[in-house]
Amino acid sequence: MRRLGDLEAEIMHRLWAWGRPATARDVLRDINKQRPLSYSSVKTVADILHGKGMLKRHKEGRAWVYEPTCTRQQYTAALMREALGGNPDPAGTLVSFLERMTPEETDALRSALRTVRTRSES
Amino acid sequence: MITTVVLAVYAFLAGAVVPAPLSRARWTHRSPVLSVLAWQGLMVTFVVATMLAVYHLVLTEQHAHAGLVGLLTLCGLAADATVGGAVPTLSDTPAPVAAAAVVLLPVVRLARCAWRAHRARLRHLDLLALVGEPAPEHGATVVDHHVPAVYCLPGRYRRVVVTRGALDVLSEEQLRAVLEHERAHLRGRHHLPRLWTDAFSRAFPGLPLARHAEEQTALLVEMIADDRALRSHARETLATAMYAVAAGRVPRAALGAGGAGALIRLGRILAPQPRPRRLTRLGVLAATATAPLLPLLVACGH
Repeated sequence: MRRLGDLEAEIMHRLWAWGRPATARDVLRDINKQRPLSYSSVKTVADILHGKGMLKRHKEGRAWVYEPTCTRQQYTAALMREALGGNPDPAGTLVSFLERMTPEETDALRSALRTVRTRSES
Repeated sequence: MITTVVLAVYAFLAGAVVPAPLSRARWTHRSPVLSVLAWQGLMVTFVVATMLAVYHLVLTEQHAHAGLVGLLTLCGLAADATVGGAVPTLSDTPAPVAAAAVVLLPVVRLARCAWRAHRARLRHLDLLALVGEPAPEHGATVVDHHVPAVYCLPGRYRRVVVTRGALDVLSEEQLRAVLEHERAHLRGRHHLPRLWTDAFSRAFPGLPLARHAEEQTALLVEMIADDRALRSHARETLATAMYAVAAGRVPRAALGAGGAGALIRLGRILAPQPRPRRLTRLGVLAATATAPLLPLLVACGH
């Protein structure tokens, strides 16, 4: 599996920020404000993103117009589902500071903390 | 015949008798590094003893009786397709092949788990590249999400991830303690013992050793990371940080909980216990090193 590169993230970030469909040329123009880049690089990566199902596209006139299939929030939610899932599969895929807890367990944690504090204060 | 029985009893001890008392033993939480080693040693012992028992059983197949097969069933072995499928055709299965199957089972599981974990991490990194913001001042990636969470992504593209929610509920000092905890996981490669115990429990489902080793290893590596963080941070800081992260979450109902360990960890952070005595530590180390070798002596001696 190919790593998701910086340019891919840059393109997605712009399309999310704009909130409207855009051509590879639009994206290039915006990136070129910061650094030089060729049209073909942007076009290639946009097609890769389309191939990965992250962008959908349709033709307007002669140019392809791209737009994200999911919102940034949806991607964040997917990311957090994995991170907060409690039991990553397989184990050790990621290691959390704290596993998922029930309200009762959180309460038990608080009272344990309180007990120690009172003890140290008295 | 005697050899087979001795080896099978030995495998049974390692696989079904020792795990419960070991997971209750109080010294284990006082010396988590040693305990992780002890669990690994016990798993190796089980595999070696079972392999040799199966080898001798197949060699002396004519004398094998139901009792031995029953013993193996208890160990959760015969329930498995690979070994279970081999039992009826013992007479035409060469002993080395049957023995190799016992070793290959967990090894193949491990390879599959490692591969799947690698893929899952790459997918997670892709998502992270899209929605994460690098925060070099923390040496971490920040995700804009309200639920407090801190975790690390081990392996080749190692990374510590913090959510906006965690940054909101943690003080600067608490955050540093938690990040130190996560970096300890990465430096110590704690995902490896967890991966190995996961693979082991998939290879030998139902085996008490598998269940205990997986649960305990997950908890013990957290304790190791806690201890590392406590080298440079106050106990109170780490304990309150732990509660702050837990309390900041609004748990949705009917989801599996893994938080029982958190309470044990908190108690351990707040009320430090001395390490086990030197003699105890040496004893455990010696037992861990010799336990997997003993069955070899038994097998070679006959």
